[in-house]
Amino acid sequence: MSKGARLVKPASYTALVVLLFLVPLFVKGAYFLHILIMAGIAIILTSSLRTIATTGQISLAHAGFMAIGAYTSALLVMKLNFSYWVALPLGGIAAALLALLVGYPFVRVKRVYFAMLTLFMGAIIRLTIMEWRGLTGGTSGLLGIPPPNSIVIPGFLNIAFDSKVPYYYLILALVLISLLFLHRIDSSCVGRTLLAIQQGDFVAESVGINVTRFKVFALCVGCFFAGITGSFYAHFIKVLTPDSFGVLQAIYLVVYMVVGGRRRFYGAILGAFILTLLPEFFRILREYQPFVFIGILLVIIFLLPDGLVSLPEAVKSRIKKVPEGQS
Amino acid sequence: MSLATLAQSILNGLAAGWIYVLVAVGLTLVFGIMNIVQFAHGEIYMLGAYCSYFLIKVYGFSFWEALPLAALLVGLLGIVLERFFFRPFRGRFEPSIIVAVGLMLLLQTTAVVGFGTDTKSMGGIIPGVLTVSGITLSWDRLLAIVVGIILVAALFLLIQKTKVGQAMVAVSQDPDAAALHGIDVNRISTIAMVIGCALAAIAGALMGSIFSTSPFMGTSAITKGIAVIILGGLGSITGAVAGGLILGLIDGLIPPLLSPTMAGIFGFGVIIIVLLFRSRGLFGHE
Amino acid sequence: MLEIRGLTKYFGGLSAVNNLDMTVNQGEIVGLIGPNGAGKTTVFNLITGFIRPTKGQIIFEQSDITGQPTHSIADKGIVRTFQLNAFLQDMTVLQNALVSCHLHPKVGVWEAILNIPGYRKKEQYACDHAMDILQFLGLDSVKDELAQNLPHGHQRLLGIAMALSANPKLLLLDEPLSGMNAAEVRESLTFVNKIRSAGTTVLLVEHNMRAVMELCDKIVVINFGCKIAEGLPEEIRRNKDVIESYLGPGEDVT
Repeated sequence: MSKGARLVKPASYTALVVLLFLVPLFVKGAYFLHILIMAGIAIILTSSLRTIATTGQISLAHAGFMAIGAYTSALLVMKLNFSYWVALPLGGIAAALLALLVGYPFVRVKRVYFAMLTLFMGAIIRLTIMEWRGLTGGTSGLLGIPPPNSIVIPGFLNIAFDSKVPYYYLILALVLISLLFLHRIDSSCVGRTLLAIQQGDFVAESVGINVTRFKVFALCVGCFFAGITGSFYAHFIKVLTPDSFGVLQAIYLVVYMVVGGRRRFYGAILGAFILTLLPEFFRILREYQPFVFIGILLVIIFLLPDGLVSLPEAVKSRIKKVPEGQS
Repeated sequence: MSLATLAQSILNGLAAGWIYVLVAVGLTLVFGIMNIVQFAHGEIYMLGAYCSYFLIKVYGFSFWEALPLAALLVGLLGIVLERFFFRPFRGRFEPSIIVAVGLMLLLQTTAVVGFGTDTKSMGGIIPGVLTVSGITLSWDRLLAIVVGIILVAALFLLIQKTKVGQAMVAVSQDPDAAALHGIDVNRISTIAMVIGCALAAIAGALMGSIFSTSPFMGTSAITKGIAVIILGGLGSITGAVAGGLILGLIDGLIPPLLSPTMAGIFGFGVIIIVLLFRSRGLFGHE
Repeated sequence: MLEIRGLTKYFGGLSAVNNLDMTVNQGEIVGLIGPNGAGKTTVFNLITGFIRPTKGQIIFEQSDITGQPTHSIADKGIVRTFQLNAFLQDMTVLQNALVSCHLHPKVGVWEAILNIPGYRKKEQYACDHAMDILQFLGLDSVKDELAQNLPHGHQRLLGIAMALSANPKLLLLDEPLSGMNAAEVRESLTFVNKIRSAGTTVLLVEHNMRAVMELCDKIVVINFGCKIAEGLPEEIRRNKDVIESYLGPGEDVT
């Protein structure tokens, strides 16, 4: 490959990143920034879910782990006066620790049962939040969560989180860091090992791969990012209720992942982006709006069961068929 | 806890339990034969509740007429669903799940848009109570138990004594071998779907009349249904009965002692512990 | 190298393996034969840690590996292949071979994620190593094919390639010749000999009697989980108990 050709990929990624940084200059409405921020949240959640799914395990507890991060961070700041910038990673670590705790027993069961166990895990997390009213505010919710502490470099910088714009840049930074990390895992020998576990765990075991340890690793990494996203969400929306982290939300994440396509890394990003953003254009439909999401879901699954990322291959095989038919 | 409260709690638990059993039996049947977790099953249950609500309130049927009628109508819907939503994806686990989820969202949103978000009440099936040595037992709960027992017994007879039932067993064990023996797998799938939907509809109608009806009742039904079939063992009808009654009794006895939330935590906790010791559930095979 | 003492495995009330003693010495090619259901694959599963023995000991290079998990045993140097083609369907041939390459040299998870230069060198080394193995087995021309698209014979070789890439000291081959025609069998026998010359000890389970007689230095015969004979191929060929257990009395093995 010529030197020029090799530079195309990193150059286009850099251009994309620069473009993303410039978005707030063009997009002025708070509403539009808000949906972009929510799309960013969905992207991190779906990509980290995909990392867990690389070993073949579908987690239906991802919304629950997000809740762990959200409530941990909010409570650390509100009750123990932590700085947000310490609470943010701690939210992720709390989620990862819980994943570690339940991970070892959970990953030993067959895949269908793993998915259902995580479903129950998510339900238990939600129910515990509802029950522990003293700590979490229960069903009425945790209110008045403060925004992130302002970033102050005296004489230089004073970023207060008083509008959507700083949140946008924060989530953008989190998205870039997370995707970089998760992509590194995916494209390295670790990702290869995780994929091998999905396709033949006993073969992988027989060549020396500690399947249990890798499955737990994938689970903890994925849940860490779910926790981080939860922390961000808590201090962005500033109100937390257990209903935001239920079975339905967990299922939505799996839908984003499968509609985007599991086989490629960018599938999760694509699915999350499209399914979060597209329905917003149909806000005028009001109570009929969910039908847009449902429609997209059903159309894609009927046409491209392997998700949007299989579109290039599907098109290619269509094109190949045409000349044969004509002869 | 007084004896009277205990008796009522057990009664509530058994009534809820048999309703869970009706939901779970259909779900496990569909899983065993079509190998999918039918996520829209809860919405079928919800449709059963609304169907009987309208038959009673708008068309003036009595409850005992509305019940089989709702089961029939929803069962017919099941034929359509199997043919157009699930058959194209037979054997493909992940897309089937997404289709089921899509169907679930479709039915739920349609219900919200069509019926409104408020909860409705059907009025007790049979009002009044039975008093036995000072303990009051509501008739509607007793009858829910009786209906549950009769239907599940009928299903057991169907499976063990009829050709169709035996064909269903064959398909659930090995669909390819069954096909080679001349069994029409498509037809069996349709039958399983119809039975599952009919039972879920009856469960919904019972729940709707004892308690209330809302467009969101399906979500808790599917979660409970999945909990029961995992506890009992995927594909096992005996397991669905055992699991349903266990979780029903937990839901009957724990709330008066602690709280409804604790009942949920307790129930899921029990399932997780069982699964960790018996990785296929109580009666699961394979 | 490998010593098995009193190995016993009960499944419910049935003994699949009963008080088996055998040894494999370094550099040997040992054959484990017996009629269908004799317990040969169970022995493999026991040695490699897929199942735990009810009684008995398995000692590899003077250390007791009984009951250890499969991946530890592989790490210590025992790797097996599988009867039913076991490979990674949706990955390329090269990727399949690369999966086994992480053990020697050991690559840490964080090394890989942070993409430090040391990792890149190890990855390059692994690629070269995998390519060597593929070339050795004649699979290098299809290195970028998806494993599921390969013809049956190549798929068997891929299973062996995966096992070899893990640098085993002792290679367990589970019916490597099943479903092969005469030419493929010839080729495979050459491979096994080359594998032994390269320094790997081989223990194989196989039904193709002629191949076993030709290839193995030593043969162990089991039936109903018990050892009924052990020795050189010529001895086994003439052993009455062996002949009876396969064909009933009065027949010739070859």
